[in-house]
Amino acid sequence: MIRTLQQVLEQTLARLSDQVTTYLPSFLVALIILLGAWVVAFCLRILLSRAFKGRGVDRFLHESGIGPMLDHSGRLRASLIVANTVFWGIMLIGLLNAVSVFDSRLATLFVENTVALLPKLLTAGAILLVGFWLAQYMGRGALVWASNEGFPWARHLAALVRVVIAFVSVVVASDVLQFARTVFLAAFVIFAAAVMLTISLVVALNSRDFLQRLFPSRQETSRSERERSLWSHL
Amino acid sequence: MTQFNLPDDARAAVESLRNADIVIGIPSYNNARTIGHVVRAAHAGLAKYFPEATGVIVNSDGGSTDSTRQEVLSSQVEDSHLMMISTRVSAVHRLSFPYHGIPGKGSAFRLIFGIASSLKARACAVVDSDLRSITPEWIDLLIRPVLYGGYDFVAPYYHRHKYDGTITNSIIYPLTRALYGKRIRQPIGGDFGVSLPLLGAYLSRDDWETDVARYGIDIWMTTIAVAEGFRVCQSFLGAKLHDAKDPGADLSAMLQQVVGSVFSLMQQYQQVWESASGSEPVELFGFRYDVGLDPIDVKLSRMVQAFLKGFGDLSEIWSLALSPPHLDALRTLAASARLVDPRHFHIDDELWAGIIYEFAAAFRAQPPVRSHLVKSLTPLYLGRVASFVNETRDMSAAEVERRIESLCVVFEYLKPLLVRRWNGDTAPFPKLPDSRQPAPGTALEV
Repeated sequence: MIRTLQQVLEQTLARLSDQVTTYLPSFLVALIILLGAWVVAFCLRILLSRAFKGRGVDRFLHESGIGPMLDHSGRLRASLIVANTVFWGIMLIGLLNAVSVFDSRLATLFVENTVALLPKLLTAGAILLVGFWLAQYMGRGALVWASNEGFPWARHLAALVRVVIAFVSVVVASDVLQFARTVFLAAFVIFAAAVMLTISLVVALNSRDFLQRLFPSRQETSRSERERSLWSHL
Repeated sequence: MTQFNLPDDARAAVESLRNADIVIGIPSYNNARTIGHVVRAAHAGLAKYFPEATGVIVNSDGGSTDSTRQEVLSSQVEDSHLMMISTRVSAVHRLSFPYHGIPGKGSAFRLIFGIASSLKARACAVVDSDLRSITPEWIDLLIRPVLYGGYDFVAPYYHRHKYDGTITNSIIYPLTRALYGKRIRQPIGGDFGVSLPLLGAYLSRDDWETDVARYGIDIWMTTIAVAEGFRVCQSFLGAKLHDAKDPGADLSAMLQQVVGSVFSLMQQYQQVWESASGSEPVELFGFRYDVGLDPIDVKLSRMVQAFLKGFGDLSEIWSLALSPPHLDALRTLAASARLVDPRHFHIDDELWAGIIYEFAAAFRAQPPVRSHLVKSLTPLYLGRVASFVNETRDMSAAEVERRIESLCVVFEYLKPLLVRRWNGDTAPFPKLPDSRQPAPGTALEV
């Protein structure tokens, strides 16, 4: 009995030692690669954040509204974006190299999939960025229009516009990534249909009252404009 | 530089007339009710005051569905009723064409200017088609300074009801005066006299397809005349009484076109206005007299409500332009307006000038949100009008004019802060002591 236990223990230790001697050097090399990548990336990030100015890009970020959208504090700068992009780019290359050291089927598959996914990730990221920017822009437009028209739920309307456009961009991005595309698409169709149905029902059932409530100040405006129509703003 | 081509019918008319001394332009859109009177006044003005000059009245119509164009061509004026000293030598020709392009007053003006320039008219005047108070003397007052005084641009000077022309009084006049240093009281009056060289300068520009094509045209004309160094004067025309306005007119679009045009021109003429300080009077022709004016009723509580609603909805957009102290001041104002009678609502001059200046700077700094920014000014503008109504309720016309003068002085005083903000300095405007009313002609030291 004791002999059997000893044999099992010896076999386990031998297997463990075998695995350690097989994977430890690769693991150490991978760690060294990752550490090297981190050191290079860290140094480059510091260098770029100090040396790269990119005032033109800063101006574009500010004027286009992308900067304030991504960072509400308004401190987002081109140098920061470039430095962080380079940092994470080098870290990704380091990670892929570190994984490939193991030379296993799983590691190869991971590296291949990551490289193949990268352009799609970038495309999806760009779609999301444009989508969110557009959502913000259109939402603001709706807000100003609705508020100036005296629409009672101006902020809700603006929020709805923002959500719809952002949702569309998420659906398109998921389609590019081929990630749960049917789920997002179905959710979007249901959402859009629900919105349309709600609006149709409310308008159809309460059209007169609804419109009167929807545009009270507009009607009041028209009435009072007629009363004091000699008032010229210009 | 863009080339403006006259439509075929207008070109044929120009070729037939060959040249003219004076062109009177009348833009119109469904003004059959009033345009006959305006045409008769223009005709009589030409006959009475410029009997030896070849005159052409040009109606530029925006596709009226009533009988506007027929009224222009058929309205009659009896020379014998004009008590003329001299006999009319040349005939007064009348033309009426529909203009093409973006619908709006600016596009109508472009056709008039194109015809006047092609006819090599020495002077051109434009008058609104909804005027009820126009007389033949208006033509004399708008044309004579150009023909005989060597002026290039004649701006109107009217008596108006204290609540009439509120965009002019609260934004455009104080702002353009502070920017360019010329006290043109009605920079967007709508009735102007223009010389041939200035017509050429207008037609050579390539921004006709912008807000200039609509309500932006008046401030565009005035600003170019002032900023490009043309000789500018004013003529006193008496009262400005006009036909009832379109009740459906969109105030925020109007505000966007007028204020947006001022802000756009600020970018073009930055070097001109940055170096100007204080302001100087602009020569005023014509005999000044007091006139009776139509009473105008304003709905105070509705304007205050619009301001409060705007504060509730649009603070997010205002924060793109306004610094925290100004936002805080508006917050305090909104909080107190919810508690007190609308008749006590008050936006002080310093806050108002600061708001306009910060919106101007934001307009320059953030091109993608320009239209949102300027349209979001609407509730602030209505709040300011409510405040103005409260302040001037019991004031006479002269007292109101002094009140507007003090607002202009504040705009001039704070101009150095505009220059600073315009050039990217985001430091908040310093708070002036409460009791301090700047002396005329002074500017804040920053």
